[in-house]
Amino acid sequence: MSVDDTGRSDRPTQEITVTVNGESVTAEVEPRLKLSDFLRSHMELRTVRVGCEQGVCGACTVEFDGTVAKSCMLYAVQADGREVTTVEALSEDGDLHPIQEAFHEEHALQCGFCTSGFLMATRELLAENPDPDRDVIEGALADNICRCTGYQNIYDAVETAADKLEGE
Amino acid sequence: MKAAQFEHHEPTTVEEAVSLIESLDEPTILAGGQSLVPMMRFRLARPETVVDLNGIDELDYLQEADGYLKLGALARHADVEESSLIDRQYGSFADTAPLVADPQIRNRGTVVGSIAQSDPKGDWGTVLLAHEGEVVAHGPGGERTIPADEFFLLPYDNTLAEDELITEVRVPTSGDDEGSAYHKLKRKVGDYAMAGSAARVVLDGGRITDATVALTAVDITNVSVPDAADHLEGERPSGDLFKQAGELAAEHANPESDEHGSAEYKRNMVRVLTQRALADATERASNDGPAARYGTDQMAVGD
Repeated sequence: MSVDDTGRSDRPTQEITVTVNGESVTAEVEPRLKLSDFLRSHMELRTVRVGCEQGVCGACTVEFDGTVAKSCMLYAVQADGREVTTVEALSEDGDLHPIQEAFHEEHALQCGFCTSGFLMATRELLAENPDPDRDVIEGALADNICRCTGYQNIYDAVETAADKLEGE
Repeated sequence: MKAAQFEHHEPTTVEEAVSLIESLDEPTILAGGQSLVPMMRFRLARPETVVDLNGIDELDYLQEADGYLKLGALARHADVEESSLIDRQYGSFADTAPLVADPQIRNRGTVVGSIAQSDPKGDWGTVLLAHEGEVVAHGPGGERTIPADEFFLLPYDNTLAEDELITEVRVPTSGDDEGSAYHKLKRKVGDYAMAGSAARVVLDGGRITDATVALTAVDITNVSVPDAADHLEGERPSGDLFKQAGELAAEHANPESDEHGSAEYKRNMVRVLTQRALADATERASNDGPAARYGTDQMAVGD
């Protein structure tokens, strides 16, 4: 699969090959293209939400090279030869991931803009700490911003997700 | 706003990086990028060329060697947070790592990058000062070391030459009778410090034989407090002694009033944070075992 850049040929580009959600992708990108814009606009992975573009809102959180990162704080050229995972890879065969199920059941989203970032951050939190207490959850999600829910349902969902994953 | 155009170079060895930095016109060095990338997005930084260190595997280490704890330029905040070596011996590092920003940023951002950024609100410079550490720089002329107390000049400015690259920061290996701690006051989880204090104490026969105190966010750079160190050395640790050292640190601090608090308030917080850091450092120096077992009581506004 190949992805074209913006079509502006007068600007220098670099070829990158990135494994995105298990699939190897080669693209020509300008060095200044952020990973967030590459994933959302070029790869059409719409779960990658471009919010503040300055690393404070957490909406563009993806897994980069095995750990969560804000994709607006990386350039796409930095992903060359590396692996990126987005929320698109969480559900299998149309079945929601247990963390997604928990967010659904606990009504942990309203407008949904921030949800992808919370899902990815929660996934790493629960991988490192399968039974986090409320303080740990709040700390781990402190820089993912949600302007709708008031956070309580999100924290409930993380606890529910922990129970679901433990029961698997 | 997006970053201006730049050329991206990704060397794979320090030697290659140094020669690129020498040959390119005013290159900027990218490691974790958690300060640089937003600065480029706002065009506060507008480098023509970026030398990306992330492909230099030889810079990815955190280890004790040759009498030092050494952190390579690619050691991330999360590496410090997860290190059992840090947890056993380097309390101030163990305290600081989880207080930097948020998990996403800690996975990418580097300790060396934070020190290179030389933000007076940054935490790691304070820890480096408290441990009387050094910055190791590579340039066209080879390697040189810069003592921490000669490194910081002004906000976002330091004594690194334009053609030099920091490859490592290091602090002398911590002995069994040594303990250190860092306390930070912040508005909420993940914020920069409103004030911070690091303390390091070495005990011998019930007396403090060596001590350092350093402060965050209350002067134009991270600063150490020699008066407090002098006051502590040779004395038996006690609550009163720590209180006096805290007062000396508060006098030494030079905070500015801002939207987060008045200068007077911050000065008072320096006193309190220094007392607490000294108490934790002393407890860690007197006990064996992981720093985490003597968890610090971190303050956030509203607690």
